[in-house]
Parts: sequence; C-alpha cells; structure tokens
Amino acid sequence: MAKVSIIIPTYNVEMYLVECMESVIHQTLKDIEIICINDGSTDGSLEILKSYAQKDDRIVLVDKENGGYGIAMNIGLEKATGEYIGIVEPDDFVKLDMYESLYQIAKDNDLDFVKADFYRFKRTDEDDMNMVYNRLSKNPEDYNKVFNPSEDTEAIRYIMNTWSGIYKKEFIEKHHIRHNETPGASFQDNGFWFQTFIFATRAMIVDKPYYMNRRDNPNSSVHNREKVYCMNIEYDHIRDILMEHPELWERFKGMYWYKKYNNYIGTIRRIGMEYRHEFVERFSAEFKRGLEKKELDPSVFSVAAWKKIQVVAAEPDTFYKVWVVASVTERKLNKKIMQLERKNQKLSNELAMIKSSKSYRIGRILLFIPRKLKEWIKGSK
Amino acid sequence: MNHPKVSVILPVYNVEKYLKQCMDSIVNQTLKDIEIICVDDGSTDASLSILKEYEKEDDRVKVICQQNAGAGAARNNGLSIATGEYLSFLDSDDFFSLDMLEKSYAQAKKEDADLIVFRSDQYREDLDKIVKVSWTLREKALPPYRPMTHRTFTDNVFKVFVGWAWDKLFKREFVLEHELQFQEQRTSNDLLFVFSAIVLAKRITILDEPLAHQRRNNPNSLSNTREKSWQCFYNALTALKDNLVKFGLYKELEQDYINYGLHFSLWNLDTLTGAKKEVLFDKLKKEWFAALGIANKPKEYFYNKKEFAKFEKIMNQSFQEVYPDAK
Repeated sequence: MAKVSIIIPTYNVEMYLVECMESVIHQTLKDIEIICINDGSTDGSLEILKSYAQKDDRIVLVDKENGGYGIAMNIGLEKATGEYIGIVEPDDFVKLDMYESLYQIAKDNDLDFVKADFYRFKRTDEDDMNMVYNRLSKNPEDYNKVFNPSEDTEAIRYIMNTWSGIYKKEFIEKHHIRHNETPGASFQDNGFWFQTFIFATRAMIVDKPYYMNRRDNPNSSVHNREKVYCMNIEYDHIRDILMEHPELWERFKGMYWYKKYNNYIGTIRRIGMEYRHEFVERFSAEFKRGLEKKELDPSVFSVAAWKKIQVVAAEPDTFYKVWVVASVTERKLNKKIMQLERKNQKLSNELAMIKSSKSYRIGRILLFIPRKLKEWIKGSK
Repeated sequence: MNHPKVSVILPVYNVEKYLKQCMDSIVNQTLKDIEIICVDDGSTDASLSILKEYEKEDDRVKVICQQNAGAGAARNNGLSIATGEYLSFLDSDDFFSLDMLEKSYAQAKKEDADLIVFRSDQYREDLDKIVKVSWTLREKALPPYRPMTHRTFTDNVFKVFVGWAWDKLFKREFVLEHELQFQEQRTSNDLLFVFSAIVLAKRITILDEPLAHQRRNNPNSLSNTREKSWQCFYNALTALKDNLVKFGLYKELEQDYINYGLHFSLWNLDTLTGAKKEVLFDKLKKEWFAALGIANKPKEYFYNKKEFAKFEKIMNQSFQEVYPDAK
C-alpha cells in the first residue's frame, strides 16, 4: 500500500501540467501513487499525462469523457489505495518535501487530516514570480496541535481549500466523503471540504507552506447564467449533507450560514453586473428565510456583517444600491483618482527635471533683465 | 411490457354534466402514449355509462368501479393498477389544455423530476370566463435553478404549491418507493399525498404555463358541501404530521407545519357555512389549536401576523363576537 495517493483531476491545462507533474513525481516521499484523471481535455493534456505514465509506473491514468470536477475527483477517490490522500490541481505545483513532511505529521499524530499554509502565486514571465503567503488561520495558537473539528466549529473559519493537506483514506471511506456531481456545477470542493471538517475528530494545521496555488487570472467575471448560482447549489448540497445528521446540523448551522454569507458576498464580485441584482434578490430570500427559522447565529458574525445581513434580508434593493452599485462606482472613482495622482506626480517630476536642467537655468539668467523690465513696466502702470 | 408515459387517474362521482368536457380534454391530449384509468365511485347518475362509452371507443381508457368510498379511495384504486412512468390525478369537473400532458411530461423527463408542478387557472362558471390565479405556484419563493427540493424554498414549504394533485405529475417509481397513498375521506384527501411528495422529492421542477382549468362555482362540488365533512381537514393535518415524523422531517419542518396548520384551520373555519361552523369554532378553540401545536407559541413564531391576530381573537372571544353574521 502506498503511503499517499495523489489525485490530479485534469482538464485543459497543457501550459502548466509539466510543472505540476514534475513537482509530484520528484517528491522526496517515493512510496506514492499518482492518480491522474483526464476529464476529457481537448488540448494536449492527455498526451503529457501519457508520456509521464510511460516513464513512471506509480502513475495511474484514467481517461474519461468530460463530466466535471466533482465526478473526476470522485473517480480519483474511488481509485485511491494509499493510506492517505492528497489533491493537486494540475495548474498548481508542490514543494518536493510536501508529502514526506505531511505524511510524517499525520502518522505521528494519527490524524484524519493535516493541512498546511500555502502560497498563491502569479507569474508574469520566467523569472518574475509574485508569491503571497496564505495562512489557514489568523490565530497562531491554532497551529501544530491536534484539534477536533467535529466539535470545535470555529475551525470552519480557516481558509477553504482541499489541496493544501492530506486525508486518511480510512476516514474518507468511513464517512463516504465525496464531491457533489451535479453536471455543470462549480465550487464542488466546498462540500468536500465541509464534510472533512464536520466528521474529523483528529486534525492539525501546520504553519509551513508546501503548496503553490496559481492565481494568474483570478478576477475573470462570470457572464454565463448557469454559473451565477453555482455557489447556492453547492450550499444546498452541503445543507442536505448536514441535515442527514440532525446533531451535526444543530452544531454547524451557525457556521454554515457564516460561510454561505462570505461566499455570497464573494459571488457578487465574481458575477457580471447584469446578474448582480437578481442574485441579491435570491441572497435576500434565502437569508430572510434563515433568519425566520432562527438558523443564523449573530455571535459568529462581525457587527458590520450582521448589519448587512439584516439589510439584505429586509431590503434587498437598498443592499443592492448601497453595497453593490455604490461600491462599484466607488472603485471606479478610486481608480480615476489614482490615475490622476499618478499623472500629477509624473508632471511634477517632469517639471522638477526641467527646472534642474542647465538650459532652463541659463534661459532664466538670459531672461532676467527683460523679465525685471516687464515687471517694472507693469508696476508703473 | 411497454409502460405508457403517463397514467391519468380520474375519480368520478355524479358529474354527468361536466364529464364529457373533462373526458374529451383527456382523450384528445396531444401526448398519445397514455393510459386513462377512470374510477367510478358508485355514481348514481349517468356518469358510469358516459365512461363506458369512452372505454368502448378508446382502448387506452379503463373503467373500474367501486362502491362509494370517496375520491381518496378511488385514486388509491387507480394508483394500484397504474403502469405509467408518471401519474396524473385529475378531477372530473375540471378540464385541461390539450398539450398539458405533452408539455409537463417533456419538462419532467428533461429534469428527471420526481414531481412537476405546472400553473393552472380557474374557469369561473358564473362569468363563463377563465381567470388567472397566482397563488397555486408561487415562483418568488422558488430558487432560480432547477431541479429543486423543498429546502430551497424561501417560504413556508406548504404554501409554495397547493395541496391538490391535479396540477402536478408524480413519478410512479417515486410514489411507490415511499408508498404514498391518498387519505380515504370525503374532502382534503389529497393534502397528505401531495405534501408528503413535496417534502420527499429530491427533484422538483415547475412549468410556468397554465395547463389546467379548475371549474369554480359548481354548486355540487365537494368543497361547497363541506359541512358534511368539516373535520376532514384536521384529519389531513394530523396524518401529515405523522408522516413528517415518519420521514424524520418533523423537527426541520415543525414551524412551517404549525403555521400551515393555523392557516388551513382558519381557511376552513372562515369558509364553512351552516350549523357546523360553531362546532368547528369550539373544537379548534378547546382542542385542535393546542393539538396542532399552535397554542402557546409566541407571536414571532408566526409568519403571518394577521393569522396570528385572528387566532388570538378566536381564543379570547365568543363565536358570536368573531362571526356576528353567522347563523
């Protein structure tokens, strides 16, 4: 049995796939299984995977028709035979000691899962890499100790990702943790992530980064109606799972609404302007209902967020005007101000340069007498 | 065996005046691959012979007879022999757009729905006119994506659709899986079946086109003779609660259930005429409001403050004070 199975769900990533695969096959932990699911790529991804599979017999390659992230991931989970399971997105890459280190920690502490801090990166050209360190938790005391996420609901506040850690296969199977398979959906990692937290009893987060998450183009807006409500659908799915276990629903419903709120606020920014009003209407109806049923817990929200929730539930149009339209206008204005400031700066720099130049100073000396003469005539009028 | 796409189940009881219009709008449906199960509920008029005519003419029509036992029993009888992929339970005094089954079946099939609800309107006999009805399908309380479950409704799950069966199609496999049955009583016999289906369905979809036409102001309609069956609604509500408990959904839906219980009790009380009105008034006040979980709930528990005010009025005032005009 391999120590770690690494699942790589792959769809049209030929540009990045080599960097990803190189980082996985050269892991210092050698006893690994690499499960690549080609989800019907239409570019050269499959060929790249095939050539790696030929060279490295630890690679299991599954080629299937395109069916979406959730199905691809679930096939990977079914295939995995390792003691622990990791996930690498094919446009990301990992540090070479990632799985050796995490496996050791998981083993030493008998963990259901362990997760680590990570980097988000942007690469403009070969040498210019912009990296930002991301901490899973704001609170340093949360790190490097065993905690029980199924009891400690606060852990749901940690940054959501499924790939910066490893999960015990036995744990995943015991609770049959899988992704939502709804075709065309997105954000199917949210449900997987939520399940790992509500079921795990022994977990740890570590404050060392191993995972490199690509953020080349994070701000592309959604202009496809089908994708506008993907987050809602994923959160419907998460609620269905929680409600299958009434005691878990009771314990986690407050945090469920907290995560949903943050994700809906994020969604407003993510979707095109043309969909924002109707999205806010649905946002409003869902939160109004949640408030009516007393499912929201005010104590998990900041004062400002709780106020916003009251407004969105009672007056979606006000919310839309104040926080959606106004903030867009505001952002535009700020941009304009910054541009003007930059222009202003440039002009004063130029002015300073001109003033300090030789020709300017000579000119001023040459023009000294005629200028004084002019002033004298002006003054005598 | 080849299953028809839809089984239409039609309970028939003394409706000779309307039956032809109803049957014509069924046999002439543009969806041809259907079976039509007519259950004569011991009619004493010409209804049965009208049905027999249709049976002779059209081999998709099956007529079965039962001793008078009500529409609920008739629907269960029909259900027990139905073979269609979807089930349509119609009422014999209504009539239907000829493309009702074609359109609703196509939509249900596309979404692989357990349950589809389509829009309906009312045929007002007194005006000889079709009028629009908004409250049978409250789109604003539904998510903008399909299919959906009751958990995505943003209003009381028992008020988003209506508790009758004829504006819906039910997947037969789904009905059998949950052993759904109609309640065998004179009125309100479809509420239990319909609401159970709504809360159990994993895939609900809708079709926002008026496809069925409900006849109103028919003086023989059962809803106009409710004084004989004034307690049926309460039986329906308690049976619904039992089902919700059985499905493990009561806790989740308790607030909706209690709010609906108040709404439906008040509607029954308000619309009941005759001597039984005061009997029902006393029954609600002394027993049923408490049994339904309505009594002792704080004001903020109720979604509709007018209904709550009415409840308080009933609890604090006499029948004559609340209904000064009742005989």
